[in-house]
Amino acid sequence: MTTATGTETAGRKTPSGGTRPSLGWGWVKDQYPIIILVLLLIVAAFSTDAFFTPRNLTNLVVQVSVIGIVTLAQFMIIVTAGIDISVGSVVALAGVTCAMLYGGQSVVLAILVAVVVGALCGSFTGYLVSFRGLEPFIVTLGMMALARGIVYATTEGSPVTPAAENFRVIATTTIAGVPLIALIWLGLALVIGFLMKRTVFGRRIYAIGSSKDAARASGIPVERTLFLVYMLAGAMVGFAGFLLTARVGAATPTAGNLYELDAIAAVVIGGAALAGGRGRVLGAVVGTLILGVITNLLVLLNVSTYMQDAFRGGLILFAIILTTVSFTRRKRKNAVVPAST
Amino acid sequence: MEHEHDRGGPATAEPAFRISHLTKTYPGVTALDDVTLEAYPGEVLAICGANGAGKSTLSKLLAGQERPTAGGVTVAGYDGEITDPSSAIDAGVLFMHQEPLVIEDFTVEENVWLTQISKAGRNRPWNLVRRHRREQTLEALAAVGMRNVPLSARAGQLGPGPRQMLALSRTQVNPHRILILDETTASTTEDHFKDVLALVDRERAAGVCVIFVSHRMDEVFAMADRIAVLRNGALVDTVVASEVSRDDVMTLMIGESVMALEPPQPLPQAERAPVLRVDSLYAGAARAIDLDVAAGEIVGLYGLVGSGRSSVARAISGNQETESGSIELHGKARTFRSNRDAIAAGIVYVSEDRKREGFIPSFANGQNMTLSTLGAYSSLGVIDLGKERARTRELIDEYAVKGGTEGLTVALSGGNQQKVCLAKWLEADPDVVVLDEPTKGIDIGARLTIYTIIRRLAEQGKAVIVVSSEAEELLSLCHRVLVMRDGRIVSEHASQDSATDQIIRAALGGEAA
Repeated sequence: MTTATGTETAGRKTPSGGTRPSLGWGWVKDQYPIIILVLLLIVAAFSTDAFFTPRNLTNLVVQVSVIGIVTLAQFMIIVTAGIDISVGSVVALAGVTCAMLYGGQSVVLAILVAVVVGALCGSFTGYLVSFRGLEPFIVTLGMMALARGIVYATTEGSPVTPAAENFRVIATTTIAGVPLIALIWLGLALVIGFLMKRTVFGRRIYAIGSSKDAARASGIPVERTLFLVYMLAGAMVGFAGFLLTARVGAATPTAGNLYELDAIAAVVIGGAALAGGRGRVLGAVVGTLILGVITNLLVLLNVSTYMQDAFRGGLILFAIILTTVSFTRRKRKNAVVPAST
Repeated sequence: MEHEHDRGGPATAEPAFRISHLTKTYPGVTALDDVTLEAYPGEVLAICGANGAGKSTLSKLLAGQERPTAGGVTVAGYDGEITDPSSAIDAGVLFMHQEPLVIEDFTVEENVWLTQISKAGRNRPWNLVRRHRREQTLEALAAVGMRNVPLSARAGQLGPGPRQMLALSRTQVNPHRILILDETTASTTEDHFKDVLALVDRERAAGVCVIFVSHRMDEVFAMADRIAVLRNGALVDTVVASEVSRDDVMTLMIGESVMALEPPQPLPQAERAPVLRVDSLYAGAARAIDLDVAAGEIVGLYGLVGSGRSSVARAISGNQETESGSIELHGKARTFRSNRDAIAAGIVYVSEDRKREGFIPSFANGQNMTLSTLGAYSSLGVIDLGKERARTRELIDEYAVKGGTEGLTVALSGGNQQKVCLAKWLEADPDVVVLDEPTKGIDIGARLTIYTIIRRLAEQGKAVIVVSSEAEELLSLCHRVLVMRDGRIVSEHASQDSATDQIIRAALGGEAA
C-alpha cells in the first residue's frame, strides 16, 4: 500500500489534498498584524509630515529595539503557555549591574555581566516553573518585585553612569544609515525565528505550549525544555538591559518600567495565543512595530501622555478581539471537518 | 424471558418515565439505537450491558445531560420533554454519576446540600447553611451509613467509597421521583453496598422509580425488579429478574458475535523467544502481574473499567510508576524513570486518551507524525525540513491519512487521528508496542485498518500488547488474551479455542468457564 510516487514532484502540493486550508480570506485574516501596521503607516503619512522623515524613522527604530528584544523573549515564553511579568525589572537589574560592576570599565564585560544577570534570573524562575511546577504568573510576579527592589536598594534611587567612555557607541553607531541597535534586534529576531521553526528545540516549545500532556507522552523532556526557554529568555532580557543603559547613557532605577505590559501586548497583537502553542516571530516583530508607531505618532501629534496610554490600551483590546474572531472561525472549520471525513 | 407489560402492582400505574425511539449518535458511532423503554414508580429497573453497549448514554439522556439525536424522554407529571439537566431536575430526576459529584474543598455538610445552592442563591445565598438544621444533615448522612463523619471535615479527605455515599446522601434532601444510579457501586466496598441496598429498598417503598446501571451481576440480582439489557446501543430485551438466571442475562449481554477477522494461528513453541517479561509487578491498580510477550506475538489484556489493565500498560511503558516487581526486556532487567527511558529502550505506548495524550492539537499531521523521531531528520538540533516533509508524505500515503501533511490532526475523525498516532510511534521502530484501547471511538471501517496495522506489526516481529474492553476485538486480533479483575490477572485464553462469553464471564467474576 506504500507508494513513493508524487512525493518528490509538484513542490508544495499535498498528496492527499482535502482539508488543507485554502489561501483565501482565511489567509488574509492571519496576516492582520501586518495589515494593521500598514494601515497605521498610511494614517501616519496623512496626519503629519513629520512622520516619514529619516530622523523620525531612525528615532522610532532605536526606540523600539530594546523593547523589541524583550518582546522576543516574552514571545518564546508565551508560546510555552507561560508568561513573564518580571522582564521590566530584570532589564533594570541587568542594566544597573552592568553599569556598576566591572562592566562599567569595559563594554564587552558589561554585555557579559548583563547577559549573565538576566540568565540567572531566568534560570531561577525557569527552575520554579518547570521543575517545581509553579505558576509562571506568580513566580515572575515575585521576581518582578525582587529584581526591582534590589535595583532601588543598590542605586538608592539615583541613576548610575558607567565609567567606560565608549559605552554609548553601540547605541549611536549606524551602518548604511540604519542604527546598529536596530540591526541587532532584527538579527536576534531572525535567530529566534530559526530556533522556533527550524530546530528540534523550537518544535518542542510549540508542542509543550499546545499540550503538555501530549508532549510528555511523546517523550519530550518537558521540564528541561521549559527551563531552557526561561533561561534563554532571561539572557535576552539581560542583554536588552545593557542596550537600554547604552542608549540612555546611564542606568536609571526606573528603567524598563511597564516593559512587561508592552511586551505581552506586542506578542498578542502579533497573533500569538496566550494559551500557548501558536504564534510567529514575525508577528512579535510586527506587534512591536505597531506599538512603536502608535506611540511615536501620538507624540508627533502632541497627544497628552495620559491619552497615549488610553490609545495603546484601546489598540490592545482591538487586536485581541481580532484574534478571537479568527480563532472562532478556525474552530468552526474544525468542527465541520470530522463529519465530512 | 418474555416482555413484561401486563405485570401486576406498579405496572397498573402510569409509567414514571417513557423513553420513545431514543437514538444518540456521535461522529462515527451510534451509541444508542431506537430504544423504547418505560419504568414504573416503586420499581427498580436495572440496565445491563457490556462496555460500550450504551448504558451510560441512556442514563445521561434520561438525566438531560446529553441531547438525543432522535426520539425523546417524557416523565410523568412533567409537561414537555427532558432536554437539559435543569428540565430533568424540575421533572424530579436525580442522577448519581459514576464519579461522585463531590467538591473536595467543601465540607461534608456543604456537600450534602450542594445541589440546593442554586435554589438558595435566588434569594439569600449567605443563609444557605444556617437554614438547614444540623440534625437534618446528620439524618441524611446516617441514611447512607455515614454516622461517624464530622460535618466540618473536608470532603477531599474521604476515600472513594465514602465520597460516593456522600453524594448518595443527597437523595435524602432532594425531592425526586426518579433516581438514576449510574455504576454508582463501581468504587464502593461490600459494606457500602449494603447501605446502597437499604437505600434502594427505602426508595422503592417510597414509590420512587430507581434506575440501576451496572454490569455487576451480583448487585443487579440483589436489587432489580426488572432488567433491561442493551447490546451495541440497541435494547435486546427486558426481563423480570426473578424469572431469569445470571447466565440468561449474560447471554443476552454478549449475544452472538460476528468475527471481523479470523483469530491468528498460535505461534510455534520454538519461536517463542520472550521479548518482554513482567514479574510480580505492582503499579497503581495492578497487583502481582506476571506476563510475557514473545516476538511476533499479540497479547490481549481484557478487563472491565477499573480492573487495572491500563495501569499495567502504563507501567510497562514508563508512563506510570511501578511500586515493585521487575520488567525485563530481551532478558535484561529495566527500570524506567519516565516514558523517555522506555522509548529509548524500545517500548512505546499508544494512549487510550487520544485527545489528551495522542497528538499536539496545534500541530499538522506531518509534525505530529515526526514528533518522537525528530532526531532522524536533524543534525545538531536543526531539522531538515525537506527531509521531514518527504518522509511525512510517504507516511500520509502509507497510512492513508486524510488531510495531507498540512491538515490539523485535531480536525480529523477518530480513526484518522489514531493512524497519525500509530505512525508517530511506529516511526520509532520499537520492539514492544503497547496499545491502550486502540479502537476507542473509532467506527467499524477504520477499525479494520487499525487491526491490519497491528497484525502487520506482529508479522514484523514486534511484541504487541493490546488493552481493550471489547472481548470480541481481542479474540479476533490476539494470539492470547489475559483477563484482569480487581487488579489481578485471573485467567488466560488462547484465542483459537476461546469464546467471547468465557472471557467476559471471567472478567465479571462469574463461574469459571
